[in-house]
Amino acid sequence: MFTLEAEESLPMQGVTAISGPSGSGKTSLLRALAGLDMDVTGERRVTFCNKEWDGPGGHVPAHERRIGFVFQDPHLFPHLSVAGNIGYGAKRRQVTSLDAIVEALDLGPLLDRGIDGLSGGEARRVALARALASDPAVLFLDEPMTGLDSQRKSEFLPYIARAVSQARVPALYVSHSSDEVVTLADRVLELGQGHVTGWRTPPMRLAAHVVAETGPGVEVRLDGAEADGPGSSIALPLRALPGEAVGIGLPVESVQFSVHHPGAGSAIMVLPVTVTRPAGAEGQAVLDVLGQSVTVPGVMRVPAGKTLWMSVLRVLPRPMIVDSSL
Amino acid sequence: MTVWPAIWLTLKLAFVTTAILLAIALPLAWWLTTTRSRLRPVIEAITTLPLVLPPTVLGFYLLILMSPTAPFGALWLSVTGDTLTFSFTGLVIASLVYSLPFAVQPLQTAFASVPRPTMDAARTLGATPRDAFLTVALPLARRGFLTAGVLTFAHTVGEFGVVLMVGGNIPGRTRVISIEIFTAVETLDYATAHVLSLGLLAFSFCVLMLVYVFNRRGALRVA
Repeated sequence: MFTLEAEESLPMQGVTAISGPSGSGKTSLLRALAGLDMDVTGERRVTFCNKEWDGPGGHVPAHERRIGFVFQDPHLFPHLSVAGNIGYGAKRRQVTSLDAIVEALDLGPLLDRGIDGLSGGEARRVALARALASDPAVLFLDEPMTGLDSQRKSEFLPYIARAVSQARVPALYVSHSSDEVVTLADRVLELGQGHVTGWRTPPMRLAAHVVAETGPGVEVRLDGAEADGPGSSIALPLRALPGEAVGIGLPVESVQFSVHHPGAGSAIMVLPVTVTRPAGAEGQAVLDVLGQSVTVPGVMRVPAGKTLWMSVLRVLPRPMIVDSSL
Repeated sequence: MTVWPAIWLTLKLAFVTTAILLAIALPLAWWLTTTRSRLRPVIEAITTLPLVLPPTVLGFYLLILMSPTAPFGALWLSVTGDTLTFSFTGLVIASLVYSLPFAVQPLQTAFASVPRPTMDAARTLGATPRDAFLTVALPLARRGFLTAGVLTFAHTVGEFGVVLMVGGNIPGRTRVISIEIFTAVETLDYATAHVLSLGLLAFSFCVLMLVYVFNRRGALRVA
């Protein structure tokens, strides 16, 4: 038996990540919100945009909630083609044009195929397209990259980001991977053992602007960086125009701190940082990076005002910001 | 040879029984697969009873139930003006009970293999439970549907004890192939018994092979 206690208002804007160890109730929370486990006992109140989904007045059935649910495994309909899968929800919600979704997820060449021969990454793109095509009011992503290797993950992640921003639906994103959280989330809700343990700002975010297009991607400069200084030229696999704002996520494990300049080595960039606020009980420190305020997880036993060097081995583009500024 | 009335009657009985039974078994199997009711083991046991009960026991109770003096038999008599015992309708009702597990179990197995999240996906995409059943569960369980149909048909063709108890041995009315064989042997007409027995043997073998071949192919296609 599993008990889930949650009483939270979730902002229906951008991407809200739900994070926590396995068994903490992330999936149960999504399923309860989606109305999929109607035989759960206990009190349940869900109000969505001032409309009561669960409460004393009864329950809105799952098929009327307009939730685009992407499950851990794609769970496509094996008896339908790719187009049939994408069209399943669209047909029931009277959505006529699916071109934008098909294009955003590069599914055009796959439409007539059966789902048997799809690769793991392709199947997940179809599952995402199927959910988006049903004209959802909110998107639920339940660890949609489970089982993909890191190469496929880094290919699939930009698709999620692009699709979510293009469809302009708020999303709840369940994940325990910090990479995914860094790239996608605007805020993080922490769950532990069946209850909410708190809200967290996604760590390691830097703002940048596109300097130039370089064929396959773009070159960006961190806001606050000198023209030829550190962080002035970072290549990102991203489609954007010069001048556009871009978010950069720094995966936690790809960042190292040192007291002395470590030398370039394999780092993409080495930046001087100043500790603004040392890590407190919540385990998040705040740093000043080229004038930007950055939240860093983990306990750093360094006093305020101390200057360190931060080596960054890997960065993740965050195309969400580009689109939401439109 | 006068075996044709028996063959015709047997096929008619098997067709009618299969058609009605699939219609009954479909919702029953779906309910058994999805329900969390505490009644489920009871209903499951009742559904499976005809598999283990001696046909004579089953036939005996059906005979009692259908007799014009029993409430059910009397009601039938007053509504239709015909008795159920020793009639084709009586045979159909008896066959429905007798072959029930052969229709329900393959369907139940097939429905159980439809992944729950696939049904959930259909629900979140705007399908009502009924819509999701018709457009997802049923197509995915189509092999179970075929297996159920074929097994029910074959099992009804091969039934003996229940038919003898309920329908007796009236030529052209309740005398099915298996009873024709029994009668032939009793009267030492081994030639007729040979022809019919060999026919049933070949038929049963073909049917089972068909089921296995089809299931194998389906398995490959799904994988």
